[in-house]
Amino acid sequence: MSWRLGTRPQVIESDVCIIGSGITAAMVADRLARTTNGKIVVVEAGDEAPPLGARYPLRERYLQYGESPWPHDHLEGYEIHGPLQSRSMQVGGLALHWGGVTPRWSPEDFKTRSLFGVGTDWPISYDDLDPFYQEAEILMGVSGEQGPVEMDPRGKPFPMAPYPLTYNLEQLQEWVKHAGIATWSQPTAKNSRPYGGRSECCRNDTCEPMCPIGAKYSPDFTWNKLRAANRVTLYPRTLVRKLVLDERTKKIVSAEAMQAKRSGGKSPTAIEFRAKTFVVAAGYVWSSHLLLLSANSRAPDGLANSSGMVGKYLAGHRAQSAFISLPLRLYPGMNGQHSLLSKQFMRSPATDRYLRHDLRVWESSYDRGPRLRNDSGTLMLGDDILRDWRERTKTGVARVRAYYDVVPDRSSELTLDATRRNSYGDPLPSLAFRDAPESAALRGYSESTIQALFARMARAGGGSVLPARGNGGDWQDHPSGGCRMGDDQATSVVDSWGRTHDHENLFVVGAPTCVSGSCANGTLSFCALALRAATEMAR
Amino acid sequence: MIRISRRAFLASLAAALPAAALVRRAHAASVDELGASQRSMRALGEVILPQELGAAGITKAVNEFERWIAGYREGAELLHGYGTSTLKWAGPTPATAWAAQLNFLDKKAQRAHGRAFADLSIEARRALVQSDLDAINADGIPPLGRAPHVALAILAHYYSSSEANDLCYMAHIGRQNCRPLAAQTRKPLPLAQAHA
Ligand SMILES: Cc1cc2nc3c(=O)[nH]c(=O)nc-3n(C[C@H](O)[C@H](O)[C@H](O)COP(=O)(O)OP(=O)(O)OC[C@H]3O[C@@H](n4cnc5c(N)ncnc54)[C@H](O)[C@@H]3O)c2cc1C
Ligand code: SF4
Repeated sequence: MSWRLGTRPQVIESDVCIIGSGITAAMVADRLARTTNGKIVVVEAGDEAPPLGARYPLRERYLQYGESPWPHDHLEGYEIHGPLQSRSMQVGGLALHWGGVTPRWSPEDFKTRSLFGVGTDWPISYDDLDPFYQEAEILMGVSGEQGPVEMDPRGKPFPMAPYPLTYNLEQLQEWVKHAGIATWSQPTAKNSRPYGGRSECCRNDTCEPMCPIGAKYSPDFTWNKLRAANRVTLYPRTLVRKLVLDERTKKIVSAEAMQAKRSGGKSPTAIEFRAKTFVVAAGYVWSSHLLLLSANSRAPDGLANSSGMVGKYLAGHRAQSAFISLPLRLYPGMNGQHSLLSKQFMRSPATDRYLRHDLRVWESSYDRGPRLRNDSGTLMLGDDILRDWRERTKTGVARVRAYYDVVPDRSSELTLDATRRNSYGDPLPSLAFRDAPESAALRGYSESTIQALFARMARAGGGSVLPARGNGGDWQDHPSGGCRMGDDQATSVVDSWGRTHDHENLFVVGAPTCVSGSCANGTLSFCALALRAATEMAR
Repeated sequence: MIRISRRAFLASLAAALPAAALVRRAHAASVDELGASQRSMRALGEVILPQELGAAGITKAVNEFERWIAGYREGAELLHGYGTSTLKWAGPTPATAWAAQLNFLDKKAQRAHGRAFADLSIEARRALVQSDLDAINADGIPPLGRAPHVALAILAHYYSSSEANDLCYMAHIGRQNCRPLAAQTRKPLPLAQAHA
């Protein structure tokens, strides 16, 4: 054991110990609470989130001053090398901040090698995941419109009626139809009617970063419910530093953690969590990180890492976007976070070379804001600014964006960074996303093809693509991977249920277990994977 | 008796106060200074904000700007960025520079016309503001907290409001306000009708 001599940790015993309290942890806990009688403990490094009742004033400070509506939602000193999705570490995880956009991935995502000769097939199919997609949609409450069945297959209807299109999106949908593209209302974890004890959305449009009325699902609602029913005990401010392997078997016996006091409190206290089953639900960064930190003499490269794959194949999708000026009278501000979705280019490659992408369309006020100088550079003040603004907003602007699938390379990886450490001296992670050679070779082609599509869309509406600075960059969105699933123990970390090949009582769930990152927002898929894993834990 | 200089006395006082308290005091002093120049600020509002707002609308916009600056918190944690582990905090109060610029407008008015800025005609005020903005090569309405001039700050504050958006589109859009979800399928009502 690595406890310092003379310090006796508090010992907490349970049937299942879940590490992390983000959305995937919430899904696992919810299912286990429904299907088992076991004692469930949840360990979260970050602090409690402000309660729903406190969110209106926090949102107001955000709107007025750009202040974080989730103050202190991070651990100090966690500036890491590489593109971290968010610093947020809090009870509820990143999905306190999220936009609630919940498309399903498509059947092709799970078999790109067999269908297109690129990437790696998953050990499960879309059909295997369909019931768990449905369960996740019910648990979080998704409002959705059924798209054309050939593009948007699903076993059962959405739990809630579609989130209505705004007047602006109705106009934009007509335009996109002229370009031969079918779109529908983006499925979203926002209530189109009162649902799950939470209110109907009132479209005040700050879902990302904070819904002040709870119309957007966030994991704190699940934790509130499970804690009130005494079905989970949640330990906030408690960082698991290491998972400990039994001396004789390959089972995990405990998780060593440090619980910080509330801010300004005394030094942290040690807690040892003992459980029959351990579930690492710490997201795409901290899951691999914890396994690597847990190296010991019998697993010198980290736990669950006999394949050497822990931290490898970080995945995601890159974006291409554009703003398109259109001869349409739009009214930006009606509900700017809602969008149209098309999966037309996601089901089958858009061209004979491998390129799959989604497509979304939003209202926008890009290039239609008030100005200080007119086209000839003359300063405008008073009524002139408003007059000029009115003139320029007689026509509208749409924002369009496509996420395209990037095949990850093995060297797309998370490693331990010996040069940066947390306050306990543990190395922090370093992240580097890299495309597989086939993807790298196609990057220029993929991006120019998508830009050509945007230009075609603009022409179909008698509009034009506006010049814009920067586009997408290297960032890969909805990052995942690091503990990819597979049937072959030599090339994967977990099986299709999230159980690590090396340790029968250790599961990793959600984002880290993905084989690839598809070309649409990933969280619903992470949740479906986590729920599927929970069925195996309950067996 | 030990003699202590005024500067040493102030320094020892400063050391005894937590830094955050000092920062808050400096901000409060600048806000007071801006408050003391309320006439000038309103006179500035009349030059740069749309006349269409009317006298009451301009006063309201200027008052709301004043409330905004009074509520500014130096060092507050800002929303952290996406795709990065870097955190951000609110910078030093912009009120100090804005108060100085307002005073400067007054001084320039005195120098050029022998009267306070607020007592000048709209045209004369406009010329002074314009020369300030030209001097800093102002070419757009910046994000409010980073406005390099008090005139730009008032503009940024007003034009980022939902009211300004509605006035531009002459429609009751109500950006970022709570509104019935079902109503979003309909074209927003014209302003006059919505207000009727
Ligand atoms: C601004 C924003 C908008 C987004 N919008 C969308 C969207 O619209 N649609 C979409 O699909 N996705 C969206 N996402 C992404 C989505 O939020 C994430 O994919 C999802 O929340 C990840 O959930 P998770 O459970 O995998 O991990 P996390 O939410 O990261 O939860 C992991 C938790 O584990 C804790 N933890 C980590 N290590 C330890 C440890 N050693 N000990 C104890 N606790 C630990 C962390 O503190 C954290 O709270 C968005 C993200 C952001 C930041
Ligand atoms: S639009 Fe407003 S009410 Fe609706 S989910 Fe978003 S923040 Fe909540």
